[in-house]
Amino acid sequence: MKLLLVEDNERVSRFVIKGLVEAGHTIDHADNGRDGMFLAAGEAYDAIVLDRMLPGEIDGLGIIAALRSNGSRTPILILSALSDVDERIRGLKAGGDDYLVKPFAFGELLARLDALVRRTRAGDSTTLAVGDLKMDLLSRKVTRGARAVALQPREFKLLEYLMRHADQVVTRTMLLEGVWDYRFDPQTNVVDVHVSKLRQKIEPGGERPLLRTIRNAGYMLTANA
Amino acid sequence: MRRLPRSTAFRFALGYVALGIAVLALFAGPLWYTWRENVEEVRTELLREDVQSLTDIFHSEGPDVLAAVIAARVNRQHVANSIILFADQSLRPLAGNLDAWPGQAPRAPGVHRLTITQDGRSIRALLVRTELPGGYNLLVGRDSSRFRPLEILFLYGLAGASAVLALAGVLGGWLIRRALLSEVHRIRQTALAIVEGDFSRRLPVRGGGDELDLLAQTVNRMLDQIEQLFHGVRDVSNAIAHDLRTPLAELRSRLEELSLVRPGAERVYAEIEAAVTDVDRVIGIFNALLRLAEIDTGVRRSGFVPVDVAALAGDVADFYQPVAELEGVNLALDAAGAPTVAGDPLLLSQALANLVENALKYGDGSIAITVRRDASVVEMAVSDHGPGIADAERARVVERFYRGDASRGTPGVGLGLSLVAAVARLHGGRLELADNAPGLRATLLLPPALEPTRLRPGAGLSARHELAPELLAD
Repeated sequence: MKLLLVEDNERVSRFVIKGLVEAGHTIDHADNGRDGMFLAAGEAYDAIVLDRMLPGEIDGLGIIAALRSNGSRTPILILSALSDVDERIRGLKAGGDDYLVKPFAFGELLARLDALVRRTRAGDSTTLAVGDLKMDLLSRKVTRGARAVALQPREFKLLEYLMRHADQVVTRTMLLEGVWDYRFDPQTNVVDVHVSKLRQKIEPGGERPLLRTIRNAGYMLTANA
Repeated sequence: MRRLPRSTAFRFALGYVALGIAVLALFAGPLWYTWRENVEEVRTELLREDVQSLTDIFHSEGPDVLAAVIAARVNRQHVANSIILFADQSLRPLAGNLDAWPGQAPRAPGVHRLTITQDGRSIRALLVRTELPGGYNLLVGRDSSRFRPLEILFLYGLAGASAVLALAGVLGGWLIRRALLSEVHRIRQTALAIVEGDFSRRLPVRGGGDELDLLAQTVNRMLDQIEQLFHGVRDVSNAIAHDLRTPLAELRSRLEELSLVRPGAERVYAEIEAAVTDVDRVIGIFNALLRLAEIDTGVRRSGFVPVDVAALAGDVADFYQPVAELEGVNLALDAAGAPTVAGDPLLLSQALANLVENALKYGDGSIAITVRRDASVVEMAVSDHGPGIADAERARVVERFYRGDASRGTPGVGLGLSLVAAVARLHGGRLELADNAPGLRATLLLPPALEPTRLRPGAGLSARHELAPELLAD
């Protein structure tokens, strides 16, 4: 993927660029609003990672507003030290696609970027499939090979989220927000317990594992384990 | 003296004095005018009658008889204060009690008001001049100085009354000002003491229930609130210092040891991961604090929507069910009806989740979530059978960073119940902790939504969509 990072903090930039390059992406970097705007308007990127508060005439929200008013639909992930719900809403209303509060774990950033880019490519299919695991969204039936998998409504939603983000790392925070609509960190490992319950249902006994635990990041549903 | 007119009481008194004098003038002015007019009219009438009788004598008897009649009248002096003069064509006096025709007497006949000289003294007079046939002139008048003392008495009375009014006003103003000043002075002394840092002081309340007392009581309530906030901030600072220092100290020693010892790569990586965990703990504390501050400002009230509390509790129960099962705890939900509150579904979920997590952490055997509604209150309660909280500690556990004896050695920041209490406050409700005999029963008491009809199915959910439309699976 070709990505643009607009971030004025040198250390954060180095950390993000190094991580993204290691993950196989190409990065352009601007350390102020004016250069960021120039690059964002002139080049085609798969996604833009944008700090909210930037030096140089135009800030993060200004860049987003300018891009959106020019008809650009490039996914934008906002980085911000402002964690208030109101600030988050402002960022999203301005046209951002996701909002990540600093400080953040790199795994979280990478997973959310992946999700953003693939979402824009995803189609409107009524069935989902990962390997021999199939989900029919209309009849709400799940099968693994020939075997029907019986799921509770919330488990169905969890699996649907994982299947929509197949072959991507999905963090616990993303699951909390996407499946339960919660925006707080539970003190217990409740998300892990839900995932392990789901795992017992879709890959009981000797079947080939589909749901991988990614250390220090989250989970990934993939047929290529 | 510059201070006098600046006093509010004194300005009031002066205003009232001016008003009193104005009312007095309003009363006395017309009275004075009407009296003067009436008296003058009656006098003129009398003079005209006099003139008429004298003219009649002139016409019937001739000038000589008239002169004799006038002379006789003057001699008799039967009319006090009367002025009479009969003169020939060249205004030479023929008879009367004036030595000469008054120089300033106008030529024209009619009624005139003049100051003339009679017997060597100057008098104010009302005069009627008549021209008789043959060029004779008749001047009849009356000394109006007769009413002078009465007029003066009236004016003196008016001035005296004004003076008494002014004196009473000034004295009253001064007394009120003195009383107010002593009161204000006392308030000021207390306020200054508070400014100096003595937060225990309160404004004096005399118990009379007057305006100043009301003000003092209101200010005292404000001071109570400020003192509480002040202590709160100090406690929080101490708690932050303690709770943040501990992980920071661990982190620091970990990193310092690494740089000193320089162990093998494997050990370095392990230490770095532990350091990241330390930092995450600090970040977690910061996030919890910011969240609390955000809730306490009350700005999120603007985003309130009708929330179905039973459905919300159901979601939370579902969410924690697998964890409860794993720990062998029975988590039961008992929700009656469809109680609705106006609120923030995210925060209410988090508050209930905090209570359930507490129960999971400290409780034992079974946890019950109950949702009830009656006319005046919506209740969300979480009961457990754990060690509970001792009576003495109950008030303190909702304080920021307070961690009861039971929680020592368990993970957690000590902000959970403060957050629940803050969420309750934001919604106009409160958090109640009670003995569940054994265990703890934590109850969120919330005011019900005023218009339950406004609830639309999934209204709470749509608010969440608004928060992060891009994050929902679609």
